[in-house]
Amino acid sequence: MEKVNDNQLKSIPEETAENGVTRRQIIKTGAAAGAVALMGGFPNISSAQNKTLNIVRGTYFIPGAQEIAKQQAAEFGKQAGVKVNADFLNWTDLNTKIGAGIQAGGIDVIELWPVQNHLYANNLVDMTDEAEEVAARGGGFEEYVLNSGLVNGRYLGIPHGNNAGTIAYRISAFEKAGVKHADKGGMDMTWDEYFAVAKECKKMGMPFGQSLGHSLGDPIGFCYPYMWASGALEVGDDGKTILFNTPTFEYALNKFVQAWKDGYDETGTSWDDSSNNRAYLSGKISSTFNGASIYYASKRRDDGGELMNDTHHMLMPKGTAGRYHEFGTQTMGILNNSKNIDVAKEYLKWWFQPENFDKWWRIQEGYQLHHVKNLADDPMWQDDPKMGIFKEIPKYGRLRGFAGNPNEKASLAASKYIVVDTFAKAVQSGDAKDALEWGERQLKRIYR
Amino acid sequence: MGTFGIRKKITFKMNSGSIQSENFLDRESSLGVLLMLPGLILLLVFLAYPFFLGIWLSLTDTRIGMPGEFIGLWNYTDLLEDDIFHQTAWNTMIYAVVTVPFKALMGLGLALILNNKIRFSNPIRAFVMLPWIVPTALSSLGWFMIFDPVFSPISWLMIEMGLIESNVNFLGDQILAVTAICWVNIWRGIPFFGISILAGLQAVPPELHEQAAIDGANKFQRFVNVTLPQIKGILMITSLLSIIWTFADFQLIYVLTKGGPANQTHIFGTYAYQIGLFGTEIGMAAAITLYMFPILAFFSIFLLRYMRKTA
Repeated sequence: MEKVNDNQLKSIPEETAENGVTRRQIIKTGAAAGAVALMGGFPNISSAQNKTLNIVRGTYFIPGAQEIAKQQAAEFGKQAGVKVNADFLNWTDLNTKIGAGIQAGGIDVIELWPVQNHLYANNLVDMTDEAEEVAARGGGFEEYVLNSGLVNGRYLGIPHGNNAGTIAYRISAFEKAGVKHADKGGMDMTWDEYFAVAKECKKMGMPFGQSLGHSLGDPIGFCYPYMWASGALEVGDDGKTILFNTPTFEYALNKFVQAWKDGYDETGTSWDDSSNNRAYLSGKISSTFNGASIYYASKRRDDGGELMNDTHHMLMPKGTAGRYHEFGTQTMGILNNSKNIDVAKEYLKWWFQPENFDKWWRIQEGYQLHHVKNLADDPMWQDDPKMGIFKEIPKYGRLRGFAGNPNEKASLAASKYIVVDTFAKAVQSGDAKDALEWGERQLKRIYR
Repeated sequence: MGTFGIRKKITFKMNSGSIQSENFLDRESSLGVLLMLPGLILLLVFLAYPFFLGIWLSLTDTRIGMPGEFIGLWNYTDLLEDDIFHQTAWNTMIYAVVTVPFKALMGLGLALILNNKIRFSNPIRAFVMLPWIVPTALSSLGWFMIFDPVFSPISWLMIEMGLIESNVNFLGDQILAVTAICWVNIWRGIPFFGISILAGLQAVPPELHEQAAIDGANKFQRFVNVTLPQIKGILMITSLLSIIWTFADFQLIYVLTKGGPANQTHIFGTYAYQIGLFGTEIGMAAAITLYMFPILAFFSIFLLRYMRKTA
């Protein structure tokens, strides 16, 4: 609802009706009545007075999205008559904050990353009804949301999509390396083909770049899909059998070790989630696994669109066992030790209304994938064809811990960087077998 | 009555063998306890309680948000079979054992230089304290940029000079990463040793040097036979404190490498953080940190006994 402020009131001519009521008075009263009506639209807030709602989210790469989220939090607070604190943390610090919130309170609404809804299942409010309402309104949740948003058949929060990662590349470098139709994007490559391009690009002084450091985003986003595409899994569907150290994966990992020497920037073992962005944007590398942030940043450079025009995206290459992406939905949840569960629920119901949510979603220009089917054909996707490939990613999505559950063991394995360190050890030593044996030992300890 | 009257009152009461409550504040021992109480309460609440809670947690399988059950020493014995924990323990030993002697030696060198009459000695002394004073997380971030794998100014300079062809992997190669974290720790710790030893040097009576000079001792002999024995105590205390702090380090490693590459720079603090706050296993994390306790206790007791002996 549009605010009516004093300046606007002053601009309205002062006309007095027959009963002595001025036009300004009518408008002011209407605004107040509207506000009251809206507060009346939060019937489940038993008493909003003196309540403070604490919302914690990860920082958004798209500054506009963060600004809108902040404004919307303030707007809800005004409408519902509650004080709202909206905090945005470096998303790698979310785990720590969630832990503190669970142990000591102080957080009402929390933005959860994939798997965290499983990890903290005992501490989240069941919001199945609210989530299903959102799904119904939006034409149903996307498949990947159903696969990752449900915890034992229940929604412990409301899923809101996720930002996806894929391969970004320099069109000019790929063309020089002999890749046909590089300017069209979405090439359907195998890992062998991708590594061959890497070798050619490195000869030209533009190697590929990949983070294999202790960082929660890109290293996991790259290593897990490569593992799955090579026919290996952390654990089988019984949740106990480790299927990590397989002949096909050893073969594939040896290929990666060779490709690392031939085609990659070998300092990648110390890269974090920002290193590849900086390397790509400064022209040091020609391809990397990343979210849409690289392309988004290239659009805003003051270079006449040179880097933006020279950047495109493709899906993760295929391995012998297929093509995969590590992908699941984020969830807006409520901690069950919150003293404001009623207010928190109303906030989420309000935020997920299309007039609020869609504004936050659209400003990200495809950086955040949609959670409901109705948004799959949103006109926003037509704005930039280079973002279209991101819509395809969920089809290939798997969660860490596959083929077991994305539970605390999967989270422990990810937080200990077992899979990532297997890759790092392999490229450091040149010995994939030894690295795989190490990784297998670590996974057996976790899944015993 | 006045003061004389009060004194008389006390004398009477002491002779009669009874101690009245209104004299409580007059006795040093009682007043001492009272003045110590706020500090003691703070220590109990913010140190003792978390410490004993940590011991309890280490004996359970508690996870964040889920109360655990008592499992005895299982976490401790399980860690003994953990490859990553072995590496962590080894990394911590190397980190402490390598950095402290370097800090002591270089701190001693710095103190000897600053002990001379030089111009602008006060601003220089303030300046050399900067690595110690600047918050560790901030200075570590600065070094993180210096060691950046793609944009390191050191790599750039060496490439420009034709010494190397590609960027140095400061934080991604095992040997280089360990060297880098040790270097940053040494850089940060030199001022502490320097200023502490300088205080010791300035307390050495000049007559001892004069007598030694008269007896024909050269500069080196005076340093070994006069200076070193005089500052032995300071050296011991600063070294022990530094060992304790280095063992318990966290922020420097976390900012630079987060324990990578491949756990090759994990120390107890960073590994416990990873297991406890990302893996949610706070029982296991507590056990990891408590493995430090015997080592730190040993050095602390040694330090306290040494300080008592020299006092």
